[in-house]
Amino acid sequence: GEDALLPAPQNISILSTNMKHFLSWSPVIVQGETVRYSVEFQGEYERDYANESWIPICECSLITATVCNITEDISATVAYNLRVRADVGTRRSEWGTLKGFFNRITTSLTPPLMKVIADGCHLLVELEDMGPAFQFCVLYWKKGQESRQKVVKDASSVVHLDTMEAGPDYCVKAQTYVEAINRSSSFSQTQCVGAQGGTSMWLV
Amino acid sequence: RCRVSMSMTEIRLGFTAIKASIVSIQARDPIKTLSILSHPQSLHKVKSSDRCCITHHLFNFYVDKVFKHCKTEDSYINRKISSIANSFLSMKKKLRQCHEQNKCMCGEESTEKFKQILANYEGLNVTSAAIKSLGELDILLDWMEKSQRAEHV
Repeated sequence: GEDALLPAPQNISILSTNMKHFLSWSPVIVQGETVRYSVEFQGEYERDYANESWIPICECSLITATVCNITEDISATVAYNLRVRADVGTRRSEWGTLKGFFNRITTSLTPPLMKVIADGCHLLVELEDMGPAFQFCVLYWKKGQESRQKVVKDASSVVHLDTMEAGPDYCVKAQTYVEAINRSSSFSQTQCVGAQGGTSMWLV
Repeated sequence: RCRVSMSMTEIRLGFTAIKASIVSIQARDPIKTLSILSHPQSLHKVKSSDRCCITHHLFNFYVDKVFKHCKTEDSYINRKISSIANSFLSMKKKLRQCHEQNKCMCGEESTEKFKQILANYEGLNVTSAAIKSLGELDILLDWMEKSQRAEHV
């Protein structure tokens, strides 16, 4: 009936890829009613120095969605607790809490998208802009020779890697590096191009 | 040497987002006092050999004393303070490891310098002192970034 206790949200989990973190949970079903959810977080600082206080995420207060982008609040490399509760009218559930902590150091890092461009004799690479937390390590080599490395801190513009000789192919691969968690992705697929007779060739 | 990777960018972004609000809270404080971090001597006068110790002391200071007294009515500011506090806690733990491995030794000068900062802080009522210290975070961040650059030269 009306006063039956509202069940707490279940199956609370985090999906974290490339330093973007999303909390999701299973919907609480109440026939004919709109259920709303609210999310709170607690960092290690709050646990150890601020009386285990919880902080609400206002963008995820009384929402109907069952997912919340918590990226902006998970902005330190410490262990976080997260919890969700449900509201229907005046009825409110207990908190459902994420099992275990979440530390962004566990985010999964995918190889960057990369476009290799042979612009005449110039070897260029365009990298996916993944946000300020990301740097890139780009390896490039003339086929059959040692590779060279270039660290790219700003992916917003095309990067000039080398001036190519006519004839041999030049190959490129890249990985991301996130200083805040001191981790790198695996390398992207290798892409090879050859110097062009003055025309641009894009290879996706 | 104590080698600790610090993501200053995130701390700086978090602080920049709330600096104006913190300064306006401070402006309501009738007591106009001197700087907590820079009085009487600027952080920039600290010898390079003392930098690690002063940094370690200051991270402990902010985590142990300052942030807990900075709660505001504004949930956005509280969230940003939380992210700065958790970043500082992460750094504090790394610096403690350096200290335990004798890589972050404290000379007399840095100990004196930190005592002065504590005296400045304890000369005010706790909430004013905490908000003022929070408002001066950019002094600390500027000094740390300048020190980092100096070490790379």
